[in-house]
Amino acid sequence: MTGDDQDRPTHAPVLKLTDIRKSFGSVHAVVGISLEIARNEVVGLVGENGAGKSTLIKILTGIYQPDGGSIEVDGKVVRFRGPRDAVASGIGVVHQEQSLFTNLSVAENIEMNAVTERGSAVRFGFYRWGRLNKNAAASLARIGSQLNPKTRVGDLPFVDRQMVEIARAIRVEQHRITAPLVILDEPTSLLERTETAVLEREIGKLKDFGSVIFVSHRLDEVMRICDRIIVMRHGKVVADRRSDHVTEDELFKLMVGRESHAVKRDHPVDDGSLVPVFEATNLTRNGKYRDVSFSVLPGRLTAIIGATGSGRESLARAIFGAEATDGGTMSIGGVAVHSWSVTKAVAAGVGYVPAERKVEGMVGALSAAENITLTHPGRAARGPILVPHNRARIAQEWFETLDVRPNDSSLELDRFSGGNQQKVVMAKWLNSPNLKVLVLDHPLRGLDPGASQTVNEHIRTVCAEGAAVILLADTLEEALDIGDDIIVMRDGEVSARFNVAVDNPSTLDLLEGMV
Amino acid sequence: MLPTEPAVLAPAMTDKTPSRPSTRAETARTFPRTWGEPVALVGALVVLGITFTILNPRFGTLTNLQNILDQSALPLIIGVGATLVILLGSIDLSVEGVMGASGMTFVLLSANSRGGPDLGILAFVAAIAVGTALGAVSGTIYTKVKVPSFIVTLGMWFVGLGIATVLFGTETIPSLTNDELSTWSSQLTFGLPNAFLLAAVVVIGGAALLRFTRLGRVILSIGNNELIARGNGVSVDRFKIFVFIIAGALSGLAGAIASIQLGSGSATVGVGLLFVTIPAVVIGGTSLGGGKGGVLRTALGVILLTVLNNGLILAGVSPNYQSAVSGAILVAAIVAAAWSQRDRLRIAK
Repeated sequence: MTGDDQDRPTHAPVLKLTDIRKSFGSVHAVVGISLEIARNEVVGLVGENGAGKSTLIKILTGIYQPDGGSIEVDGKVVRFRGPRDAVASGIGVVHQEQSLFTNLSVAENIEMNAVTERGSAVRFGFYRWGRLNKNAAASLARIGSQLNPKTRVGDLPFVDRQMVEIARAIRVEQHRITAPLVILDEPTSLLERTETAVLEREIGKLKDFGSVIFVSHRLDEVMRICDRIIVMRHGKVVADRRSDHVTEDELFKLMVGRESHAVKRDHPVDDGSLVPVFEATNLTRNGKYRDVSFSVLPGRLTAIIGATGSGRESLARAIFGAEATDGGTMSIGGVAVHSWSVTKAVAAGVGYVPAERKVEGMVGALSAAENITLTHPGRAARGPILVPHNRARIAQEWFETLDVRPNDSSLELDRFSGGNQQKVVMAKWLNSPNLKVLVLDHPLRGLDPGASQTVNEHIRTVCAEGAAVILLADTLEEALDIGDDIIVMRDGEVSARFNVAVDNPSTLDLLEGMV
Repeated sequence: MLPTEPAVLAPAMTDKTPSRPSTRAETARTFPRTWGEPVALVGALVVLGITFTILNPRFGTLTNLQNILDQSALPLIIGVGATLVILLGSIDLSVEGVMGASGMTFVLLSANSRGGPDLGILAFVAAIAVGTALGAVSGTIYTKVKVPSFIVTLGMWFVGLGIATVLFGTETIPSLTNDELSTWSSQLTFGLPNAFLLAAVVVIGGAALLRFTRLGRVILSIGNNELIARGNGVSVDRFKIFVFIIAGALSGLAGAIASIQLGSGSATVGVGLLFVTIPAVVIGGTSLGGGKGGVLRTALGVILLTVLNNGLILAGVSPNYQSAVSGAILVAAIVAAAWSQRDRLRIAK
């Protein structure tokens, strides 16, 4: 434990947890957490998937009730029976997955969980739209956002929705005189780099009048934004450090319990003898992208990067047959494709790991084993008849290779954490006997550094076995870290290409093509 | 891991973001998304009106237009309840059964050929109470036992029919003996049939509820994402039961009016209404998935379908074909309404 190697704040803490415990059956999710958050402090909370961060946040927001321990807000012991109690105590949260009603206006979303009070926008069950919009505008102005409260949330780009979430979280300040505490649960894992900068500014503003708990997997970001960093592992606080007293490598070691092993790798050489396994020529989708041409050699990884609106997501879906194209041609293994569809793509050996894992990538109600053998049953089926015994064995092999936890492939996939779900989704395609092209749409999204390393290692294994991998990277570092070729897209066109081994581009070079 | 690029870069990059083409396209799409469907419906209504007038000039007469409004009254009333339920993402199939039970209650408690008590206006209240009770039962089973609303209300449909049959008993058909009452629904006030005026009040009330009350906005939020609604501390079950109660009460009211129009008590007084109402909701542009749509849109859908049925009769389509023709037109209309939302990976259940 290294919890007492820094200066404690002198005034009464906004939040004080003492020995918080929570178990689910035999799983001890949170074991004796004690921590304090001071006024006007930004505290980072980091830890691997399954370290207990989510459970802790659910306790703080009233979704779970702790089995033991006490929560003090402003020095007073509180007990949250539901989300409303947490809101009434001035704790607001921006959830990991966006939790806005896309069919309602910005103002309604911000005011949705406002407790009925004097001057509230709802009187006797009737909405007072004028007051509602005014209250929401006040919350938005507080974080320096100029969004129109009457806009429908569904019409907003992603980064603006995040602002709405933050405005809703700070709406809690109207419930008490003292400063609000806002929990940001991995708000940046879905944001593009450029948009992250906006969010960082907002956090700076929040700090002026409240406190922030910032949960993120991006260690560099946590170090930059936070005053103090709390590291969790196995349901415990293992370190509590001022961010200027710790390095990224130390944090990684504290979280994972092992050293970060940056693998030096060789880029497979392009000596002109290899035949591209995937080729796109002048691919065009009206309004999304135009004249995109590139080819991927077997065993090489092409990373595509670009800001929102670059059209790369649409392009990735077109390769998998999930979206139509308006022009251009594609070929897989030298064979041109016609009237492309998802069914044909799968048959031709294309795999796709979508960004919206929960929606498109997995069947949560089926077991992990069933998910792995869903697309390519292989030995798990004899003709149309499934062989559960073989299925379990195949799944078990993948569970061990990819280090999926908990190590029980018969559990419903919904019950795994995000990182482990992603490993299972990957395994589904890796299980394909004739995988030629693997399209990865933000495969590391929401994964902790440890899980990211494991997933990256397996992406490289796929490459080494001769498949072509097309990757939409979350960050520029990810693209440089794992890509052999990098294609930069801007407003639907390819704006730059790099061969990583030859050109050795920097993040600046990549950014130049993006903006 | 590589060092991050200097933070100075960030402002320069964000300066570019407002001019992103995607944002502009997003804003430009707002108009057709909100108004496109209603405008198209009004257009379709005009085209149908002109076509039917050409086929049979009697279509455009005042008497026939009043007739159309009179015919649309029941589906309008039912449609308001159905829209609210569908906006939740649920469905209420019990309409015809509830109408049977409440209609029979109404007739037996009004002046009728069998004698018995004549409660006057209280008979209306009783009919609505029967609908309310059945709606409350459906809603409670649906939310507390977590049975799909589809199945619960399918069962409640036949429970309602059963109640009506038991009330009917083995005696003669009870017919309404108060002439003033029997002709009330088709009598005109300000040139409009009474039943239609009542329906218009219900529609306006429903639209206002959806726009200006917490109940209305909560219905939309539950339909959009029930989990998020729960996470926001909304008592989802209570609101859902309340919506089923409203739908049941409206079915009860419709049962009473249908009985007045029929002039006697019948368990099957509501037959055929479900087939008009649910398609009218969908054609109006309310999504069966919930969260998107509205009461006024449904009203447009109801008028459109009523005009269609009325016009087909006047155009001389043989009654033998009429059912098939109106069914086919229905499917075509729904395909047209859903055309803009088609997508390869879109899932329809």
